[in-house]
Amino acid sequence: MECRGLKFYLSIYRKILIQDLKSKMSYRADFVISTIGMIMTNVAGFITFMILFHNFPTINGWDYYHMLFLYGFSLVALTPVQCFFDNNWNLRFMVQSGDFIKYCFRPINVFFYFMSEVFDVKGLGQLMFGLGTLVYAWYHIGVPVTFLTIMQALIFLFTASLFMIAIMNFAAATCFWIQGSGYVMVIMFRFKDFAKYPASIFSGIFKIIFTFVIPIAFVAYYPSLVLLSPDEVPLLSWLSPLIGLVFFFLSYKFWMLGVRKYDFTGS
Amino acid sequence: MSIRKFLALTRAGIMESLHYRLGIAVTLFANLIYLVLVYFLWKAVYASSGVDVVNGMTFTDTMIYLILATALFNFLEMFVVWDMSRSIQSGKIILDLLKPMDFRTYTFWSYSGSHVVQFVLTFIPTFIVVMIVTGGAIPMGLNLLYFVVSTLLALIVNFGIEMLVATLCLYTESTWGINIVKETIVLLLSGASIPLAFFPEKVREVISYLPFRAVYDIPLSVLLGKAGSDSLEGLLKLWGLQLAWAVVLTVAGIIFWNISVKKITVNGG
Amino acid sequence: MSDEAILMKGVCKDFKVLNRHEGLKGSIKDLFSRDYKTVSAVKDVSLTVNKGEIVGYLGPNGAGKSTTIKMMTGVLEPTSGEILVNGLVPYKDRTKNCENIGVVFGQRSQLWWSLPLIESFKLLRDIYMVPQKEYDDMIALYRSLVDIEPVLHKPVRQMSLGQRTLSDILAAFLHNPGIVFLDEPTIGLDVSMKSKIRDLILGLNKEKHTTVILTTHDMGDVDALCKRIVIIDKGSKIYDNDIDHLKSYFGSYRTLRMRIGDTWEERLIDEKETDVMSVIAETQAKHKIKDIQLQEISTEEVIKKIYEGGS
Repeated sequence: MECRGLKFYLSIYRKILIQDLKSKMSYRADFVISTIGMIMTNVAGFITFMILFHNFPTINGWDYYHMLFLYGFSLVALTPVQCFFDNNWNLRFMVQSGDFIKYCFRPINVFFYFMSEVFDVKGLGQLMFGLGTLVYAWYHIGVPVTFLTIMQALIFLFTASLFMIAIMNFAAATCFWIQGSGYVMVIMFRFKDFAKYPASIFSGIFKIIFTFVIPIAFVAYYPSLVLLSPDEVPLLSWLSPLIGLVFFFLSYKFWMLGVRKYDFTGS
Repeated sequence: MSIRKFLALTRAGIMESLHYRLGIAVTLFANLIYLVLVYFLWKAVYASSGVDVVNGMTFTDTMIYLILATALFNFLEMFVVWDMSRSIQSGKIILDLLKPMDFRTYTFWSYSGSHVVQFVLTFIPTFIVVMIVTGGAIPMGLNLLYFVVSTLLALIVNFGIEMLVATLCLYTESTWGINIVKETIVLLLSGASIPLAFFPEKVREVISYLPFRAVYDIPLSVLLGKAGSDSLEGLLKLWGLQLAWAVVLTVAGIIFWNISVKKITVNGG
Repeated sequence: MSDEAILMKGVCKDFKVLNRHEGLKGSIKDLFSRDYKTVSAVKDVSLTVNKGEIVGYLGPNGAGKSTTIKMMTGVLEPTSGEILVNGLVPYKDRTKNCENIGVVFGQRSQLWWSLPLIESFKLLRDIYMVPQKEYDDMIALYRSLVDIEPVLHKPVRQMSLGQRTLSDILAAFLHNPGIVFLDEPTIGLDVSMKSKIRDLILGLNKEKHTTVILTTHDMGDVDALCKRIVIIDKGSKIYDNDIDHLKSYFGSYRTLRMRIGDTWEERLIDEKETDVMSVIAETQAKHKIKDIQLQEISTEEVIKKIYEGGS
């Protein structure tokens, strides 16, 4: 048998994606309502942000535009988890009902097969919103637009996205061991709202926790410093791509361990 | 109808919630971390502002308010919309409708058990921690009793909103969309994500007449003795608002549900 | 490769479960309890299945059938013992093992819920890397065995249960696997769909020499498809032989049917103990018998006797 490499998986993903989009087109009402919902959460998030700034003009020395930059950065970085890994939310129902077993009967990676089943179009709305904010703040702060800064933005946005994916993989996979752990996902997902604030607000042990245990400091803060303060980029910012890959890998391993350890007694 | 029937549902709900023991532990832990996040954010916010009181709220006030709002949120959280959409898709809804108890009543009481568990396991511990940490910033007196009354009313208002939205599931499969719209509106306009006191004056005025405020903001204001709840007149006004919304939402929910169910049965659901 | 499709030697599977207590107090107690007990779902099962066989894997609910299948498909790891499927250890080489097996699990569709069947087929073709020629041949074979037109362009979510089962079975055979596991394939189906599905399975087995492991509670399936049956009860194998051989165990049993009034009464009689004629005489004394039929014991009754007899 041939080996199933990256090319194989990409082509399968593309095919599933096309089919999925086709079938989604036939549920237009659902698409419209979900998109409205997505826009509303973003608007509500923005309103919260504005109200906060209306009352407190700076936070930890960060002014309005810098905060806005972080905010946009975090929204863009949160798009991949929304678009490609949204099926994590269904995991616990599938595991509980025993339906999850169907993913184990195919000669492809279970994690890939499971995630490939859902592509969340709504995430694109968030991407637009985030990009708009990011560009607006970028312009007002006066970050130079060069090949280097654009490349940095792309690389570090990608890096940042890995952290949230990892967090959600960990949170979702708890359901393999713990019944009724659904709330963990809900709360982890709410943690992301704190990614848009500078991590310098944390101190002591919690600075370490929110950097290395629940790495929300990496979802926007550290990666964005590469662009926001190019003169004094902390080491952690440069290291974030590496740390991101490690986190993603660990979360994947944890997820797969859950599959192996799970009894499939739900049936 | 005897109350025993309802209490049996409460009991079953408590047992079901306790079934997931590790889940409970993890939930408690995750909540704690969440509160830490809230703490750091607002500490930084107040430290940067240079003043102690913003819009009548001190740092301690804001913390107590937000922490208890989170605890209240966990306590009040219901998955009626999801449950409803799942039972519609699986066809189980027919069985639910055939139960010898009114569907609405049944749903309410089957959730009561998890409310009890959440209250004991999340709200009370959080409350005690906040009380100790803030060293008596929460007034201790009759306001506690008023708070309980207000919370019960909040529970009914919240259930009313949930049921209204859940009924929409009879018309569309877009559960995620409906639910997120509901959650966003409730969280923002109820003051759960940012205290209503920080909203601009005019906006606040409008919001104060909407039902969402009755869910989080009023119980918490009553507990903290804010928003005029320290006078009997003010207290009655807040309760009156909650009660009015509870009645309006319940009646509207029942009417909407009855119309919708008829429609579904006619369509052969 | 050898002739064995499946080889199991002394396979056991244990599960650890929490001892739960009753009542509200019990629930609170359980919150802190560390009181686990071990449940043996499968106990020392050995089994050999040859290529091309259709084996009925039977047993009452909770006997350990699904657990065995899950171990053979590589989803669960046996606590002890050895399993070889197509010469592979399924749990260690899950992905490779999956290349050469097909699975239909009861009423749980494994197809893409919102896609038309043909699109699911194309995706499966790519996932299993089936060459186009073989794929076309398989579709042609399907067409010759069953009328697939009505389902081919329909999304799975809009199908009836029968159509869905049919689609799932077709999908399981699509990559021409050596072994197909069918877990209750005819559950909840009407009579005509049942026979359609049985014919399809027989046809595919004949054409492709696919080994089929069938678990079912429907003895009609067993009669139509299996020559050999394996029975498992409380985790242990209690029977493994030809179905005819099983019947000969109960060769002394007859089903006596008597029409009294407008209804047929049935009685299972062991001729070693009671004599058929005396039963008739006895009944005749009380009622007027209008008609009599004497039948050999049915598979259904044999199985029932075995389950009731326990191990």
